[in-house]
Amino acid sequence: MEALLFNVSGGFLEGIVRGYKAGLLTQNQYNNLTQCETIEDFRTQLSATDYGNFLANEPLPISTSTISDKATQLLVDQFNYLRSNSVEPLNKFLEYMTYAYMIDNVILIITGTLHGRNTNELLQRCHPLGIFDTMPALCVATNVEELYHTVLVETPLAPYFRDSVTAADLDDLNIEIIRNTLYKAYLEDFDAFCHSIGGPTADIMHRILAFEADRRALNITINSFGTQLSKEQRAKLFPTIGRLFPEGNNALARADDIDQVRQACEAIAEYRAFFESGPGARANGNGSGVGSESTANLLGDLGVSDELGAAAELEDRFFVHEVHLNKLAFLQQFQYAVFYSYIKLKEQEIRSVTWIAECIAQNARDRIHDFIPTF
Amino acid sequence: MGDEYPTLFRSEQMSLVQLIVPTEVAHDTIAELGELGNVQFKDLNPNVNPFQRSFVGEIRRIDEMARRVRFFASQIEKEKEPIPIRPLYDSAPLVTVGPRAAQTIDELDVKLAEHEARLTQMNESYQLLSERLRELVEARHVLRETAVFFEQAATRETEVRNSLDDSSAPLLQHDDREQQYSSGELQFDLEFVAGTIDRARLSTFERVLWRVLRGNLYMNYIDIQEPFVDPATGAETRKNVFIIFAHGDILLGKIRKVAESMGATIYPIDVNADKRADSMREVTGRLEDLQIVLYNTGASRRTELTTIGESLASWQDVVAKEKLIYETLNLLNYDVRRKTLLAEGWCPTRDIPQIQLALRHATEESGTNVPPILHELRTNRTPPTFHRTSKFTEGFQTIMDAYGIATYQEVNPGLFAVITFPFLFAVMFGDIGHGFIIFFAALSMILFERKLGKADLGEIFGTFFFGRYIILLMGVFSIYTGFLYNDIFSKSLHLFHSGWDFPEQHGNETVVGASNGHTYPFGIDPAWHGAENGLLFTNSYKMKMSIVLGVIHMTFAVCLQVPNHIRFKRYSDIYTNFIPQMIFLQSIFGYLVICIIYKWTVDWSKASTQPPSLLNMLIGMVLSPGQVEPETQLYPGQSTVQIILLLLAGVCVPWLLITKPYLQYQEMKRVQGQGYIGLGADDAPRLTDDTTLEGEEEGNGRAIAEANDEEHEQHDFSEVVVHQVIHTIEFCLGCVSHTASYLRLWALSLAHAQLSEVLWNMTLANVLGMPGLVGIVALVIVGVLWLVLTISILCVMEGLSAFLHALRLHWVEANSKHYEAGGYQFVPLSFARLNEKQ
Repeated sequence: MEALLFNVSGGFLEGIVRGYKAGLLTQNQYNNLTQCETIEDFRTQLSATDYGNFLANEPLPISTSTISDKATQLLVDQFNYLRSNSVEPLNKFLEYMTYAYMIDNVILIITGTLHGRNTNELLQRCHPLGIFDTMPALCVATNVEELYHTVLVETPLAPYFRDSVTAADLDDLNIEIIRNTLYKAYLEDFDAFCHSIGGPTADIMHRILAFEADRRALNITINSFGTQLSKEQRAKLFPTIGRLFPEGNNALARADDIDQVRQACEAIAEYRAFFESGPGARANGNGSGVGSESTANLLGDLGVSDELGAAAELEDRFFVHEVHLNKLAFLQQFQYAVFYSYIKLKEQEIRSVTWIAECIAQNARDRIHDFIPTF
Repeated sequence: MGDEYPTLFRSEQMSLVQLIVPTEVAHDTIAELGELGNVQFKDLNPNVNPFQRSFVGEIRRIDEMARRVRFFASQIEKEKEPIPIRPLYDSAPLVTVGPRAAQTIDELDVKLAEHEARLTQMNESYQLLSERLRELVEARHVLRETAVFFEQAATRETEVRNSLDDSSAPLLQHDDREQQYSSGELQFDLEFVAGTIDRARLSTFERVLWRVLRGNLYMNYIDIQEPFVDPATGAETRKNVFIIFAHGDILLGKIRKVAESMGATIYPIDVNADKRADSMREVTGRLEDLQIVLYNTGASRRTELTTIGESLASWQDVVAKEKLIYETLNLLNYDVRRKTLLAEGWCPTRDIPQIQLALRHATEESGTNVPPILHELRTNRTPPTFHRTSKFTEGFQTIMDAYGIATYQEVNPGLFAVITFPFLFAVMFGDIGHGFIIFFAALSMILFERKLGKADLGEIFGTFFFGRYIILLMGVFSIYTGFLYNDIFSKSLHLFHSGWDFPEQHGNETVVGASNGHTYPFGIDPAWHGAENGLLFTNSYKMKMSIVLGVIHMTFAVCLQVPNHIRFKRYSDIYTNFIPQMIFLQSIFGYLVICIIYKWTVDWSKASTQPPSLLNMLIGMVLSPGQVEPETQLYPGQSTVQIILLLLAGVCVPWLLITKPYLQYQEMKRVQGQGYIGLGADDAPRLTDDTTLEGEEEGNGRAIAEANDEEHEQHDFSEVVVHQVIHTIEFCLGCVSHTASYLRLWALSLAHAQLSEVLWNMTLANVLGMPGLVGIVALVIVGVLWLVLTISILCVMEGLSAFLHALRLHWVEANSKHYEAGGYQFVPLSFARLNEKQ
């Protein structure tokens, strides 16, 4: 059925996004990039790819953050192009995608304000896809109640907030709880929305979102070891759409150490692989040729505590698996998951490119291969 | 062969040349060759990464310079009042060749860097100053607007007081007045925050505040009329002054925090009117000072930009050229040991002396005495196709190149298109008036060629300008066919004495013209115009004419095979392909043409039979051979002739189908019978004709890039068979459909004539006879309307459609008969091209 009518409104944009996808860096191009001696080489090399002359007008020397910013700007431009050309329900779908960035931005600002950072500096660090009008006013709030009533009430995040947040004061733990509650509500809502679209979109998006949910559940569990977070509270933060739900979630809720987490994941073959091998043999686990050292803290933006080396390494594998899932989304036509996947893949690519640039800049050539390739 | 005068008939003879260039003259040599523009360099290190090549450093430096030049250009562009950029032909040339080349480039680099630093600094200070200016202006606005607000509030206050005071006792009046005064003071002790905010954010700001303070605030805001312009980006922002009253330090703190985070600017405003006036004076004073400083900064920045503008064009030129030169140098093979660069490339054979001259010139310029060495290589690779065009032939050649680039040394249909294309167009567009219009349009484009050539014409007009010579010829030919059709804006000309006399007309009756023995000497007799059977006559005439023209055009196209077969030494193709094709075409459609002409020569009014339908005759010839009804017979003995012709055509099909594969098979047998086996092209010995190279070490005397990237075509027997079968089917079916396709000449010309007649009848014909002033006014209005429609619909739209059909007739009907189009374009290194691209 979707083959019959999809192209009426979505055909053009699907074509566009598949064109964008064809512009993602290939393994060969990554190889060329890693051979660069200086950032200037790097720029020359990138100008031969789809990035084109995006750095041509930057005065030397170029900092890695400029590269990252400019690349993100490209992504944002592409996303905005897609969004402004889309119609319902794709429009709504793309809007849902921005909610995740909104949540991140909200948390970033609240945390920043709590630690007394400058608001303007914080605003600049926000992801451009998740910016909304009243965002700057977030820094006024001193407790959760106020937060909700002054700012969030008119954002799309309001429903997630309303039902779930009861904590009174803003401190680091509560902010983490807020983030995860919001995410849980968001993921469940997004999943429900995709389900309402139906067809292959629902299938593929469910697969991706389920993994996202499980990833969050695992992260919450591992990070909550040794904190004040009670097990009941922890259980409440787990999204209920993952493949671990419900047995795995229950097991995770009771888990006290990493071994119990591993046991909780036993039931699902792909997840078992995350824990299976030691640091030496991990590369073959996911078949994507990742190097041997952990890079999660430089690559990831999810604020995983680096106390647990295993967790950081786990994070890398999560990224690899996510890339894998997103690549699978391109195998089917007439569905919206390609848009989600493209943005995620492009983000990963920007992370990888930044990582390589960072390694070149800091002359850490031995770790240059630790990026996660997309295609 | 090399000194053959270049023609469009075949693409130019090319040579693969090898240049051995000493490193010190490499740059100058390439610069010289770029000016000359007739060498296409090959990439000799295809396996080397772009950033591992020899001249990456230079390219990077040039890139940096190019960035600076772009920065200047964008700065100049952003300036509101245009800054003159001195055009390239006017500015002193920057010499980047010769012994001082490196120094010049270094100097230029330094100069650009200096300019950039200065400009950036000026921009920064200008921006800083304008930022401060903006703040002051905003402060002044805030002061002014809040003053208004306070005054209003004060008067209202008294009013309120007064209305309340009416009932109070007069005794208390004095006290009251005092109290009122003090309370007025007190009233304004209410804390407030004043400032400015972006207008777009105002509503959000208000909403957030309302929620933060739960409605405990009084907010007032006023638009600032004039927009603020960002000096860096030139973007305009509009702002509002706001003043918010609220109680309590906490609330005010919150307001300030929200305002700051929303990008508002808060100004300290005093409650006291006097103090306000003081600060107003201060602000105004500082504003004036700042404006003077800002003006001076702006002026010096402008001077700087003007200086840059003086030489910007030559910088752009130099930077672009240098970049191209180094990119080309990167294609060359660098022999570190001998300090030489090895270049390989294609060039037209007859230009080799010129290139050698250029090389010598480059050596002299650079002041060394080691000249680059050029020698020709022998190769079995197909050279690129290069047609030397002039501005006249360029357009026509482009039409054919759009279909496909001719195979090397193939007969080039672009040459014949110069005449056939405008002619076929004109057959469809025949009208003297319209022909003149497009002729003059093209003529004016040609007369103002130099001026228009420099200007940027936009995509649409640029296309027309590019084809100006095509349009010119199309106009000329349309005038000619217009005379043939005797059509000028759908009217006819009485140039000669008509061949028909009409008796005088009474009322509405139909009169019958009688032939008076004259023959109208040229074109269609104007008597046909308006005749009842006029359309019938022109239809039949134009239809037959289209077929005749079509068969002639196709026959010509088939004939063009012959020079190709001879040039490429495929003599057998003449009798395996050309002759059967020719017989097939002529025995059916050539015969039809002869019948058409014969039928025109017979005076059917005196003949014993009715004129036969030629279409039925052709159908009958194929479907029921040998049977011709006596009443539809064109000439005696018709059935015998037709049977013979049909048999001839029938024989041609197997002839076409079988002979070529058979000959190929024979050839293969013979070769194998002699005990040879096919060798790969790479194993064949390649000898350079330059014997001095024999002493060279291996590799240097040969074409380096030649290795195995071009596969020699396998002479597979089955492939030949399949190819020939397809070719035969295509040709035989093609003959029928292509002949029919030429009927579009008739259809389009008919449509054109009818459309212009309708336009005339619906507009001008109605008002021509009107008497008096009304008639004149109507004539002017309708005349203008008619002219506009004539140009837009008949000349432009109809012209485009006729153009398209002429294009198709060339591409499909004619080119398919002979044109292989398997070549690739010759793209020389040329600075002239660089300018075109910009």
